[in-house]
Amino acid sequence: MITFKLNGKTVQGDGGEYILPVAQRNGVEIPTLCHHKVLEPAGMCRLCTVELFDGRRSRFVTSCNYPIWEGMEVKTDSARVRQGRKLIVEMLLARCPDVPVLKRLGTEYGVEEPRFKKGDDDCILCGLCTRICERVGASAISLTGRGLEMEVSTPFGEKTDVCLACGACASVCPTGHINMDVVREKHAAHEVELIASEYDMGLKGRKPIYIPYAQAIPNTPAIDRSKCVHFKTGGCKICEEACGVKAIDHTQQDEILELNVGAVVLAPGFKPFDPSKYVTYQYSKHPNVMTSMEFERILSASGPTMGHLVRMSDHKEPKKIAWLQCVGSRDMNRCDHPYCSSVCCMYAIKEASIAKEHAGSDLDCAIFFMDMRTHGKDFERYYDAAREKHGVRFIRSRVHSIEPNAGGDDLVLRYATEKGEQVEETFDMVVLSIGLEISEEIKGLAEKLGINLTEGGFCNTSSFTPVATNKEGIYVCGAFQGPKDIPQSVIEASSAAAEAGALLSEARNTLTRAKEDIKERDIRGERPRIGVFVCHCGINIGSIVDVKGVRDYAKTLPYVEYVADNLYSCSQDTQDAMTQVIKANDLNRIVVAACTPKTHEPLFQETLVNAGLNRYLFEMTNIRNQDSWVHKDEPEKATEKAKDLVRMAVAKAALIESLQEAQLSVNQKAMVIGGGISGMTAARSLSRQGYQVCLVERSGELGGQALNLFQTWKGEKVGAELDALIRSVKSDSRIDLRLGSEIENVEGFVGSFKTSLSSKSGKDTVEHGVTVIATGASEYKPTEYLYGKDPRVVTHLELDRKFKDDDPALKDVKTAVFIQCVGSREPERPYCSRVCCTHSIESALHIKEINPDASVYVLYRDIRTYGEREYLYRKARAKGVIFVRFALDKKPCVSATPEGLSVVVEDHILGRDIAIRADMLALASAIVPYKDEKLAQFFKVPMNEDGFFVEAHAKLGPSEFSTDGVFLCGLAHYPKPIDESVAHAQAASSRAVRLLARKNISVSGTVAQTNPLYCSSCGICVSICPYSAPHFIEKGPFTGRAEINPVLCKGCGLCVASCRSGAINLKGFGTDQIMAMINEM
Amino acid sequence: MLEYTKKIQEIAGRLLSEGKVEVFIGYAKGTVPMMNHPVVIRDSAKAETLVWDSHCGLNLCNYLTKMKGKIGIVANGCNSRNIVTHILENQITREQLYIVGIPCEGMVDHRAVKRAVGNRELEEVIEEGDTLVVKGRGFREIIKKTDVLQRNCAVCTHRNPVIYDEMLGPPVEEQTGVDQFKDVRMIEEMTPEKKWGFFTRTIAKCIRCYACRNACPLCYCPTCFVDESRPQWVGKSNDPTDTMTFHILRAYHCAGRCTDCGACERVCPVGIPVRQFTKKLNKDALEFFSWEAGLAIDQRPALDTYKPNDYNEFIR
Amino acid sequence: MNDWQPKITTFLCHWCSYGAADLAGVSRFQYPPNFRIIRVPCSGRISPKFILAALRHGADAVWVSG
Repeated sequence: MITFKLNGKTVQGDGGEYILPVAQRNGVEIPTLCHHKVLEPAGMCRLCTVELFDGRRSRFVTSCNYPIWEGMEVKTDSARVRQGRKLIVEMLLARCPDVPVLKRLGTEYGVEEPRFKKGDDDCILCGLCTRICERVGASAISLTGRGLEMEVSTPFGEKTDVCLACGACASVCPTGHINMDVVREKHAAHEVELIASEYDMGLKGRKPIYIPYAQAIPNTPAIDRSKCVHFKTGGCKICEEACGVKAIDHTQQDEILELNVGAVVLAPGFKPFDPSKYVTYQYSKHPNVMTSMEFERILSASGPTMGHLVRMSDHKEPKKIAWLQCVGSRDMNRCDHPYCSSVCCMYAIKEASIAKEHAGSDLDCAIFFMDMRTHGKDFERYYDAAREKHGVRFIRSRVHSIEPNAGGDDLVLRYATEKGEQVEETFDMVVLSIGLEISEEIKGLAEKLGINLTEGGFCNTSSFTPVATNKEGIYVCGAFQGPKDIPQSVIEASSAAAEAGALLSEARNTLTRAKEDIKERDIRGERPRIGVFVCHCGINIGSIVDVKGVRDYAKTLPYVEYVADNLYSCSQDTQDAMTQVIKANDLNRIVVAACTPKTHEPLFQETLVNAGLNRYLFEMTNIRNQDSWVHKDEPEKATEKAKDLVRMAVAKAALIESLQEAQLSVNQKAMVIGGGISGMTAARSLSRQGYQVCLVERSGELGGQALNLFQTWKGEKVGAELDALIRSVKSDSRIDLRLGSEIENVEGFVGSFKTSLSSKSGKDTVEHGVTVIATGASEYKPTEYLYGKDPRVVTHLELDRKFKDDDPALKDVKTAVFIQCVGSREPERPYCSRVCCTHSIESALHIKEINPDASVYVLYRDIRTYGEREYLYRKARAKGVIFVRFALDKKPCVSATPEGLSVVVEDHILGRDIAIRADMLALASAIVPYKDEKLAQFFKVPMNEDGFFVEAHAKLGPSEFSTDGVFLCGLAHYPKPIDESVAHAQAASSRAVRLLARKNISVSGTVAQTNPLYCSSCGICVSICPYSAPHFIEKGPFTGRAEINPVLCKGCGLCVASCRSGAINLKGFGTDQIMAMINEM
Repeated sequence: MLEYTKKIQEIAGRLLSEGKVEVFIGYAKGTVPMMNHPVVIRDSAKAETLVWDSHCGLNLCNYLTKMKGKIGIVANGCNSRNIVTHILENQITREQLYIVGIPCEGMVDHRAVKRAVGNRELEEVIEEGDTLVVKGRGFREIIKKTDVLQRNCAVCTHRNPVIYDEMLGPPVEEQTGVDQFKDVRMIEEMTPEKKWGFFTRTIAKCIRCYACRNACPLCYCPTCFVDESRPQWVGKSNDPTDTMTFHILRAYHCAGRCTDCGACERVCPVGIPVRQFTKKLNKDALEFFSWEAGLAIDQRPALDTYKPNDYNEFIR
Repeated sequence: MNDWQPKITTFLCHWCSYGAADLAGVSRFQYPPNFRIIRVPCSGRISPKFILAALRHGADAVWVSG
């Protein structure tokens, strides 16, 4: 260690260090243009000249490359230094009069106009570029020529292969002499290529070291070997030096791991279709034609335009945007993808609605489509709102080509309207709603695994085992199983987990390890002794916020007994040290000022537990994400903010207490309500995973709606499969079957429900830990189209019955008509029943099978044969089934005549009525829920305005309720076909097993608690809690006052805020704690 | 009016003597003109102390909170709505109550009467039909009742009881076309600075006696936030910031519950129009949630329901 | 305008807005350092009393987000 004087202050540095870095470390600024911390100093710019006193005399040295020695005295900003520097600046400015950084220096050193002859260069020959080029291992450029002719160049000024066009030179050039254009024009024989960010769909660049996207897990940077210059030259490795914890190892190799597993779940996803092959759409040529995935990034606040809606060619805000549907879907000619991708209609509507939200209502959005397929839950309402409320235009037309507007960046679409008129319309931007496809790589994987694929390249599964592949033990979920949206993917994921869980149920808990139990210190009665740890987070916080200053400030705060600053608070060694510090100093509250509690709170809480403290004696404050990262230009204010945040956290910490986590044992039995396909499947799945199930069915038989169904869209006969399922349920010793039973009452909550059942044979109470609601739905009985008045008019379930019975009368049907959307997509039932289009087409085909000469008409509004069901639609058209579209306001008219039924409908192509004489009319009647209010109240679960139950989260929680311990599947959630019902049932069982398998649940300590002395019994908490946690005390001195069940409480604090009497407090976010923070602000 | 007094006395006597109620809550004549006070009687013989006239502006519902046993009570429109709110908030049960409904034509504002006679000392105020005969030393003046109505009564749209066991007379015609929120809109239209000035002036006289809170049937918490010390929501002095905090928080606690009975304003010893705070919230409750407090016994109040499928988009 | 700077008290819901504020950091969005954030488990936790308390303690504005 060498000690010397810097501007009169005694400082220290290591032997061999130069003056400049030591000065910088001590907060002394010395101007320099040619210094870079990873490069050997060269003393080229001379700006860092300082005055050195060696005990005898003063002289000038360049601080960047003058080594320190014991006892020297350095002055960095004396009058003589300034004067000398002024001359250097003046000369540099004379050489390069227009370089901004020199102009700034000129102002600082009082050089208004150099006295020397002005040049017109912008290179100061600092050599940073040549040194970095050498360092990265390329050595493509150097300082060539002599004297006045010296310049940075490649040998002989030729473009060279040696230059990798990596851009390192441009990144260090202080004057802007070298930028990527210069590299492209002068140096590199290669093309300069920006690295496209995969996440931003290539709309933005990224570095060779990168985190794929902000929420990536693990959130650790990776080195792109194909771009990293080290892997090309063997040089560079600058990152290794920059990394404070030496985490980078360029020698790491790929590893092959062999795992021994009992089941495999395939979830490889899909590949967005590449529309380049649609040459008439100009995608690869025109920047304003983009894919829907790219457009998603444009709408995203973290995207390349920060959510600002602009088009790519000129960054102008578009006024008109068109979406073209079915690009790469429902198309044989240009892409060989006859299937429907299922999700594009909905995402296009979403994108259009959000675009209008971002850009204002004067943005014109037009969606060009063939059939609008909004068959998901609440999707039809969204479609209606987009059309009627937001004014999105929907144009039923397949656009052939996109023509660039001559002389502009606009795009011209020519299309035919429904009336058959040709229209030409100009748009600022066109979005291609690209479909989903399975990549060749995944197809290759399937081949290796010996898995059968469908015609469309998706994994082949049966309707009754929708996530099982043909190989036992290999399951599938998500888009590889068939094109689908998020909720269905989430359902299948749970379903695949249930199937794997059933297969491996015997192995459950055989590989678990028990955690060491550390005794918790009782801190009651102790004065708060707070430890504050302030994190540098490498340079993330430390380079902006004065961490040591914050640490010292924290020491002055009340109750703070210990302070420390850590380079990385989250590293294992710091955690171990913290444990020791807590024990050694008897600390009883810990504050960590670092990153975000959202990711790191559990880690620190674990450290507290290891140190014998209750995990809730912890408070974290965010001085990285919400401070240093967002105020990097205002370091002083950021430091002030960090101090404030620490003060607030300490104020809160002084008031925090140990919290207990309520333990709850989970009754190991499940109850499934409903004995249809969903209920039976859920019961079987739970039983196969080793749990007792009580299956309750109100009718006298099992089977539900499936009893009426003839076959699935894949042609499987429902009857045989259903019989097998019923038999397996009846013979299952773990399933306690209760037919003809109604639910009378339900008490209790997650883990311990008590349900009273009544049946003919009497009343009974069943105790169970979880509940699956699978109560199904029924068929709408139409009042329209002569239904019930003429025997030739039947619903589609009634027609299935005829198919099942092999009704001989079917052979005589010469003309059959199907009418779609009977009772669905109507003002009083504004949802799509999802299954009817496929069902009718399959029935139409069956009639054609029975009697190939029969005429079959399907009158529809939009055909919604989503996914690979589209093949059925194609087949029907090929077999001669005639499809006639009608509008909601022009429904078909049905009348009975002696010769048969007369169905009159306007043909939209002819624009004229056509009359069909039919022997049979099948109505695709809606699926209507039971609206079981009583059941909803028993289990405290919500229902939507249509009467379907409302799941916990429309996308991510489709199989459970927000009420703990209650799960949902089948038609009670929304209309769905058998394959989706089976998957949903297995998903519900999988979610239920998550609870059952734990046997005990410990709930968070952050729950609300009442003080009955303050309670005024007003009941607001009981009324507003979405989780039914508060209830009135039923006996004792506080009868009628409110009390909160910690097991049900989610800790949101809604009741606390609504309690006028101040009787409720939220542990962990106490009123006094929040007030303390407000007071300290 | 007089015949209502008679009827109340008869009913109260009957109910008490028959043992149908244990207590009867009504109004008795005050010792000072226009200052009727609440009275709780247990003995049928005392029924004759009960009166009903245009000076019954205090809210009797205040006395129902957590009462035990059977209770008889008189209730006009606003008082009956407070009874409904009390039932919804578990402060009393419907079964405990025998409600004697009174169609109401509004209460007079004692301050307005005094102003009408030039703030001279009043000795007697006699009610005769639509007029008041006001007597004092050396003067006798006749005032039209409608000219001196309490401001809340002048814009009242619920004069008839919404809940009762017995009505004293035919319902009165409800006022239509009154502009309930004219004053609130006027304040809403002010600039923030003007608003601040307005409210600062409004509460400048406040002595923090909490009479408004005590007169209000909605304020029944065991410990009021103003009395709480951990945390201390509001300082105890009459520092303007603390006073403002008190008035705003009091109003918030009444949001969606206030029936605009006017008791708070009536009892304010320094004459602060405290209803200006609560009325704004009444207006919001009506405009955002179509909610007026205490109209139906089977509906949860606007601010204490939670439905994931609420029809209001801004909540979902 | 003069160089008066407002002091803003911010209540952010742990599950959404607090995460959004984190993400703003991850994305290195720069914004003025005028507010101090209090994390709450849900915006439903916010009582009007907190808002008034913040104003009483000198906040020029209060922002509740969730």
